[in-house]
Amino acid sequence: MDSDPGPLPPGDGPSNPNANPRPDPEPKPQEYTEEGRLSSLTLEDSGNAAGARAAASNGSLSADFYSGDEIEEEEPAAASDSVDEVQRAAGEARASSSHGGVAWRGNLEEDGDAPPSPSSSGYAGERGSSGESGIEEDDASVSWRKRKKHFFVLSHSGKPIYSRYGDEHKLAGFSATLQAIISFVENSGDRIKFVRAGNHQVAFLVKGPIYLVCISCTEEPYGALRGQLELIYGQMLLILTKSVNRCFEKNPKFDMTTLLGGTDAVFSSLIHSFGWNPATFLHAYTCLPLAYATRLAAAAILQDVADSGVLFAILMCKHKVVSLVGAQKASLHPDDMLLLANFILSSESFRTSESFSPICLPRYNAMAFLYAYVHFLDEDTYLILLTTSSDAFYHLKDCRIRIEAVLVKSNVLCEAQRSMVDGGLCVEDLPVDSSIRSGSLSPHLGLDKTAVGSLSSRLGTGGPAGLWHFIYKSVYLDQYVSSEFSAPINNSNQQKRLYRAYQKLYASMHDKGTGPNKTQFRRDENYVLLCWITQDFELYAAFDPLADKV
Amino acid sequence: MATFGNNNLSAKLVLLGDMGAGKSSLVLRFVKGQFLEFQESTIGAAFFSQTLAVSDATVKFEIWDTAGQERYHSLAPMYYRGAAAAIIVYDITSTDSFERAKKWVQELQKQGNPNMVTALAGNKCDLEDKRKVTTEEARAYAEENGLFFMETSAKTAINVNDLFYEIARRLPRAQPAQQPAGMVLADRPVDRSRASACCS
Ligand SMILES: Nc1nc2c(ncn2[C@@H]2O[C@H](COP(=O)(O)OP(=O)(O)OP(=O)(O)O)[C@@H](O)[C@H]2O)c(=O)[nH]1
Ligand SMILES: [Mg+2]
Repeated sequence: MDSDPGPLPPGDGPSNPNANPRPDPEPKPQEYTEEGRLSSLTLEDSGNAAGARAAASNGSLSADFYSGDEIEEEEPAAASDSVDEVQRAAGEARASSSHGGVAWRGNLEEDGDAPPSPSSSGYAGERGSSGESGIEEDDASVSWRKRKKHFFVLSHSGKPIYSRYGDEHKLAGFSATLQAIISFVENSGDRIKFVRAGNHQVAFLVKGPIYLVCISCTEEPYGALRGQLELIYGQMLLILTKSVNRCFEKNPKFDMTTLLGGTDAVFSSLIHSFGWNPATFLHAYTCLPLAYATRLAAAAILQDVADSGVLFAILMCKHKVVSLVGAQKASLHPDDMLLLANFILSSESFRTSESFSPICLPRYNAMAFLYAYVHFLDEDTYLILLTTSSDAFYHLKDCRIRIEAVLVKSNVLCEAQRSMVDGGLCVEDLPVDSSIRSGSLSPHLGLDKTAVGSLSSRLGTGGPAGLWHFIYKSVYLDQYVSSEFSAPINNSNQQKRLYRAYQKLYASMHDKGTGPNKTQFRRDENYVLLCWITQDFELYAAFDPLADKV
Repeated sequence: MATFGNNNLSAKLVLLGDMGAGKSSLVLRFVKGQFLEFQESTIGAAFFSQTLAVSDATVKFEIWDTAGQERYHSLAPMYYRGAAAAIIVYDITSTDSFERAKKWVQELQKQGNPNMVTALAGNKCDLEDKRKVTTEEARAYAEENGLFFMETSAKTAINVNDLFYEIARRLPRAQPAQQPAGMVLADRPVDRSRASACCS
């Protein structure tokens, strides 16, 4: 168990990769007064600082993290399941004298990226926020135990709030176990962050009265899992705002599932995007490739409405931004955009007609609702107008009518559709002789693909110098471009594997404990990975494993 | 508020009721003639408009289909404020949804516009074998509270158009906005709605 080294006595923790929880001479009973708990669980954003420290201490775990690069290897039928491991971890945490040698084996094998199945009644709204599939599962079922990556959210009193798999109401016992582990550590003034159990990792995130837990055997670094838990928490805030904490202040046993009714699809789609959307770990957004003049036309009309009292005007095509304009001084965090787009795209409700809904942007203001006017202009393209005023609907509707007229007239919608069909950059289209420099991979929009393509000469597979795929992020713009996937990375499992490899790079490059990394090469049986980070950009690239260092 | 001009009325109409009662289904049936077996829960509120011709006027409804999910309850005033009409929907197979409907009636009586035309719709009347709320009980409640009552089915379309048509007929006409229109409600015979209740 690797816990926050801050309050630990020196000499315990960071230096030991298998750091045990602080041995507690006298296992305390799990009772406590609610008042006492509440005071220790007040909203604290010191979580970030603590996280940084944990990252530092995790540096010493890297040998363990990076030992195996095959991420989703199936173990032969092994003794116990992940959940037993956690339950055992509870025991260990209480009675821990030495458990360094205990090898916990698990066998979570189904990675639940299958599309969610409709609930038996067909009405998604009627249950709480039960997970994405396997509605009949609970912690006793084999299928539930074999899942590769579980996410749980529970309250500080142990009440289930969300579970990716199974009905969270049936997981009350399991939730109580997680709560016991977390509060055991919290009560000793410490904070639990991470448990490694055989080939399973358990990552914890405590946000005031809300506890988030991920149990996985995907070998993703702690930093990546914690980032995912942060996004799940952010998604909850987007729906409810941070004022939900007040419900727990009034009643510690408050059941939050009722407040999340009908939002299953939102969370399962977010969790799914951890495997395919690099925005989830890059903290940047990506734009739809468009000709400069086309984007300018869109930006001009959006700017026009922003000047009329709209806080943010965002035109998007699926997950890609066409244009984005904010009122003076207002800036939109890429994570908020990710969560907003995920919320809209995963809720069928927005497609039926115009809608006007309260929405919170956690990075903008976690305490308050904004009001979002959302309208789909076609199958993929939608307009979001955000305002602070709850009576602005008719004004926003008028704005939308004006915007839509201009977009149609200046062909923006057709161009956007065409760009969706054409896709983004292809590594095959890169000019052979240009070295990879920021200039040649401009994130600025309207990069003319055909012009680049005409310079290229196609190699067998992949791009020049065995380049298979790349992501380029402009730090200043908060934007990234990534190449389309092409052979030999052409199915979603391979894509997910590559993203997880990038995530590891990202985590190790941003690990504050390891100093200012500039470049990193990593070679395994799948690819040669290059990561290059400067103040201005970050470049991630995957090459043919037989390629030489460029 | 209903506004009047050249025999054209524009009226804001709000649908309220428990989640899953069938508010969106009723609106979609009325506006698009569709019914979806897997209708998704509404987020916030969705806006629709639809025009209806009644004998003496054309009524343009601006419809707010609100979300029944609990987290949106406190935001409901934002949608019913200034509405000329309201449809409070419950599901005849759920007593909880009927209780919830009563709460909405109370809230509107307290907060809403006193001239508001208010309808109580017992939806899903195609599910007679699963019925939990009797027609008599609901009708008695509606009469006590000055609502007009219909049982509807968004699935089979029974009484859906009639519901909206009846609201259009009851909207106050060409009157200064301040003038009470409660009489308009009163001068419509209650047996009219009785006659149009299905499954009874
Ligand atoms: N059998 C039957 N089913 C219906 C009827 N109306 C709606 N449903 C079903 O009931 C479910 C809920 O309907 P919705 O229209 O989404 O309910 P709602 O009141 O809008 O729910 P929220 O948006 O969550 O507040 C859907 O699965 C519909 O198919 C009906 O008249 N008969
Ligand atoms: Mg609805």
